[in-house]
Amino acid sequence: MKLNRLNTVSWTDSQLLYHAQPRLGREGLNLLSPGSPYVCIGYFQDVDQEVDVELCRQQGIPIFRREVGGGAVYLDGEQLFYQLIIHRDNPLAPHGWEAFYRRFLQAPIAAYQALGIPAEYRPVNDIVAKGRKVSGNGAAEIGDYLVLVGNLIVDFDYENMARVLKVPDEKFRDKLYQTLRENLSTIRREIGAAPPREELWDLMAEEFSKVLGPMDTVTEVDEEWRAEAENLAQTMLTDEWLYKRRGRPRDRKVTIRAGVEVRQKMYKAPGGLIRLIAELRDGRLGAVSFSGDFFFYPSEKLVDLEAALVGVRPEDAEQVIRRFYEEQGIESPGVTPADLAHVLM
Amino acid sequence: MQIGEYNFPDDLLFDKEHSWARIEGTTATIGMSDFGQDLAGEIVYAEVPRVGREITQGEPFMSVESGKWVGRINAIVSGEIVEANEEIEWESTLINEDPYGEGWFAKVEISGEPEGLMKPSDPEFATLIASEREKYGK
Repeated sequence: MKLNRLNTVSWTDSQLLYHAQPRLGREGLNLLSPGSPYVCIGYFQDVDQEVDVELCRQQGIPIFRREVGGGAVYLDGEQLFYQLIIHRDNPLAPHGWEAFYRRFLQAPIAAYQALGIPAEYRPVNDIVAKGRKVSGNGAAEIGDYLVLVGNLIVDFDYENMARVLKVPDEKFRDKLYQTLRENLSTIRREIGAAPPREELWDLMAEEFSKVLGPMDTVTEVDEEWRAEAENLAQTMLTDEWLYKRRGRPRDRKVTIRAGVEVRQKMYKAPGGLIRLIAELRDGRLGAVSFSGDFFFYPSEKLVDLEAALVGVRPEDAEQVIRRFYEEQGIESPGVTPADLAHVLM
Repeated sequence: MQIGEYNFPDDLLFDKEHSWARIEGTTATIGMSDFGQDLAGEIVYAEVPRVGREITQGEPFMSVESGKWVGRINAIVSGEIVEANEEIEWESTLINEDPYGEGWFAKVEISGEPEGLMKPSDPEFATLIASEREKYGK
């Protein structure tokens, strides 16, 4: 196994190089950072649905579709990427994705711990410290190779992350920003400083070698690798690839970390359209906001209903809403407690 | 046939990668087995192949995303896609909920004889599932 210690690379190389390795039949661990910021969307995402493309264009922020799953992310040089490409028959590669994540995330977890951050594995693919996500990870099968990509987050640009994502309205964006701040942390936030970059790379190399065994260090991209990356660029840097419609999600959901998400849903009840923005934390509702074009009397009680739902499991919401309707004498023609509960599920 | 908690209908053929095929004449309806969908976990996206595309047994022909990974599905037969189940692009959990029914992937006009397919009653199939269950802790 080669350790490709490439330090800072162009943003395109930070994606194309690991996509090229399986196609060349090469295993390897890459440690690198992008030289400039960009937005990266999951393989199945629809860029128009997920990203404010116009804003990115105005700000000169490129957008890339990776062959790895998950959601849209804002990436920059304050994040240290690790990219593991391993053949599926390599005895080091465990069977099953949870086992795969669990084994290879040991390295970044140990690196965080060495920095004094109490990081731990959270299934399926998160690393958390004191309940907050400190590293994002994704995986894919590319040919006969299993690919893990993830990052150590030295610093995070919460504002730009919330800005580049396409959201239904500013209320949703504020909620997203707050939820990101509350649930995603960084090395700088946790220990009050950013260790020298070289020290972090050394730490990652050391911890990964404990999991993968000794590796030969390479610091340059060779000719064959460069040629394959350039070949891939002909496809993966085109608008055709970026705008290709793949998945078809009907509602909007932003996962902050395993167990924490912000949802936006719409439901057409007989009495009108119900819009929902809700935070879900470990199976319970956080902040809830209903809007739409239905009638709700007395209207000022809607805020109280939203407050009454905080901490409730979505599956118990109908009962809570029903009781609230009875106690407060709520009338909402054509919109039943069951309709409101339906959008919460 | 039931093996543990997994259902493997007797009229279907299976491969080692947990795909199934219902072969009627020269057409095969194909999909993911009950065991395969359980291994995958909740499938959040599926991308079905387009009609007219030629696929080759053992080679990837579609992708699914599930449990934080993107996986390729290898074709269980070779031939031309004559019908694709676009419904699973809208409701990908159909693959989990009804893998042999509404969760089917595609219909293929078969070219050549598919190799290495097994009936649920074949002893080698029982051996395969037993070893896979052990491997994945299922």
